[in-house]
Amino acid sequence: MIPIDIRPDKLTQEMLDYTRKLGKGMENLLNADKIDTGVSPKQAVYKEDKLVLYRYDTPAGVTPRPVPLLVIYALVNRPYMTDIQEDRSTIKGLLATGQDVYLIDWGYPDGADRCLTLDDYLNGYVDRCVDFICESHGLDQINILGICQGGVFSLMYTSMHQDKVKNLVTMVTPVDFQTPGNLLSSWVQAMDIDLAVDTMGNVPGELLNWTFLSLKPFALAGQKYVNMVDVLEDADKVKNFLRMEKWIFDSPDQAGETFRQFSKDFYQKNGLINGGVVIGDYEIDLKNLTCPLLNVFALQDHLVPPAASQAMKALVGSTDYTENPFPGGHIGIYVSGKAQKEVTPSIGKWLNDRS
Amino acid sequence: MNEDSFFSNDWMETQRKYWESWIAMNRKAMGLEGGSQTAPWESALEHWWSAVSPAAPAASKQFMERMMEQGKSFFKMAETFLPTAGGGGDGWSAFSKALEDMQKGFMGGLGGSGDDKNAMHRMLAFWELPLDNWQRMTSSMSPMFPGDFLRNMPHDGMQDQVDRLLSAPGLGYTREEQGAYQDLIRRSIDYQKALQEYSAFYSKLGVKAVERMRAYMQDLISSGKTIDSARAIYDDWVNCCEAVYAEEVSTPAYAQLHGKLINSQMALKARMSEMVDGQLGALNMPTRTEIRTLQDRLQETRRENKKLSHGLKVLQAQVQALASGQPLAPGARVKTHNVPRAALIAGPADSKAAAPKKPAAKPTTK
Repeated sequence: MIPIDIRPDKLTQEMLDYTRKLGKGMENLLNADKIDTGVSPKQAVYKEDKLVLYRYDTPAGVTPRPVPLLVIYALVNRPYMTDIQEDRSTIKGLLATGQDVYLIDWGYPDGADRCLTLDDYLNGYVDRCVDFICESHGLDQINILGICQGGVFSLMYTSMHQDKVKNLVTMVTPVDFQTPGNLLSSWVQAMDIDLAVDTMGNVPGELLNWTFLSLKPFALAGQKYVNMVDVLEDADKVKNFLRMEKWIFDSPDQAGETFRQFSKDFYQKNGLINGGVVIGDYEIDLKNLTCPLLNVFALQDHLVPPAASQAMKALVGSTDYTENPFPGGHIGIYVSGKAQKEVTPSIGKWLNDRS
Repeated sequence: MNEDSFFSNDWMETQRKYWESWIAMNRKAMGLEGGSQTAPWESALEHWWSAVSPAAPAASKQFMERMMEQGKSFFKMAETFLPTAGGGGDGWSAFSKALEDMQKGFMGGLGGSGDDKNAMHRMLAFWELPLDNWQRMTSSMSPMFPGDFLRNMPHDGMQDQVDRLLSAPGLGYTREEQGAYQDLIRRSIDYQKALQEYSAFYSKLGVKAVERMRAYMQDLISSGKTIDSARAIYDDWVNCCEAVYAEEVSTPAYAQLHGKLINSQMALKARMSEMVDGQLGALNMPTRTEIRTLQDRLQETRRENKKLSHGLKVLQAQVQALASGQPLAPGARVKTHNVPRAALIAGPADSKAAAPKKPAAKPTTK
């Protein structure tokens, strides 16, 4: 006996269903409106080069808390992931808890931005955004929420400017870049980063896309589209799928000098663990970070394994350190229904208890 | 005819007619109880697509083609493993033969020359995905060379001649130029080798994935379970492939392979850029090297400018506070205690010079 029991007539029916769904799907694809990116109303309050600092409108009936929250997103991909659709929005959830939310949109670096360094990003752009918000609110300190690479930025920023940060939240943020099973880190070890950056200048988003797809190539570049056929008949699900698809491939190029330092200092040298990371005039030491710290990570994260985030606990100087593990993946922590109910409200509560 | 009416009328009608005739033909060929012939599932799907795609709107076509490719993959899988595909005999023999055929296909990509070397690429479209991803990425980065132009270039047979050519010293007035071209060819060959090693790695993975699939099927037999749809067998195949892939790409050997692929491509691109720069210089046009020098100098100037502007603002605030006898307002306080000494000497490390003069816009919904 063999374990396959597929009858030809059943296979015919399966194929018929498949093509029927494709046919219907084509109609839905054509009728899908332009894919919107970011759903919550916001205002641009500060601009510098390609950076735009947004402030989100507080929903009616909500009184904003006195200490605003600055969201620092990664340079990789675009920050509208945090506000991807009406019923899947981290930003919306934060606003609902009374946070006065600001977000940095880094824009799309081009050749002229090639020589931007981590010092330019952190002690330049981020620091000026923080100063701007402090001045606007008449405060000395604000809350910061860093996401993924933006979480690493926020850790480093706080270690350099602890006096400006009241509370820090990190989401899916790597600290130990060389935990077992970290494929990205393993692959970068034999790469000649200097040669790559010297050759390309900025690092193309396509190269990053290829790298991320290579983590699970058969599922991410193949099976996903077969699964997509199952939802093609539902216009709303098609639109949601297309929105995610847009986000996945909407990858800005990376400023060459920043990519050089980030890849070498963190992926190759594991600098937050081993030390030796120098940003401008500062040597980064997470012991300088003494404010309350909430570390949110995803238990099924294939990009930032939980252990990579949890390494933070032993390194920071904070005595008020809380971990919030979420049973989901790197993206699910923002877009899943469960995350809307659990993650965002818990972040809001944690901040409200301390602001 | 607008697109709406196309979908509501012609499109569905085309599909309906096509499927009616196709199912009738197929049932006739196989019999309602199940046929004894191999069903042309993959080509049938292709036939369907070729019948309807010319009329499909361009906006959706590319997206749909991607799903068609995967659809063909999983119907091909089902076709391969149909109990009747072996042309008679007992079911297990047919099933084993299907696995062996897949394995042979992958192994064909490991050795030999010419067409044999590309056997992997003719195998299941599914296994093209990682390489296809690489190809798309290189295409987008190299407008000069659509696709990966070195992917199938034979090199073993001509290795001796190439080595001799490359070892010949350049002579005369164009000596440097000859050397540059020799280096370009050398780097091209390095990249080509790296790419073919990378391809061969996937061939080996394919063989291992087939083994994994065989073991999975054995487990199913032991547990008395069966697979009863094309989709299920496709999903199982994906799981086997991903499991084998995850094991293999986490090894130091793969890290070296991956590094070699990227490093050799970068080395090639670097040499090409140098040569393009040389040509631009000869035409008295700006080169990339010159532009980068300007970018570096400009960025350095901007940094200094922002530091100076901020330093000025600090001084103004301090003078104002001194004059009024009041401490600085919260938020306008300028941090100096945590600024590194070097930065204080050179000027404050941060700057607010680019901040707009107006305060933050107040949302109207508040």
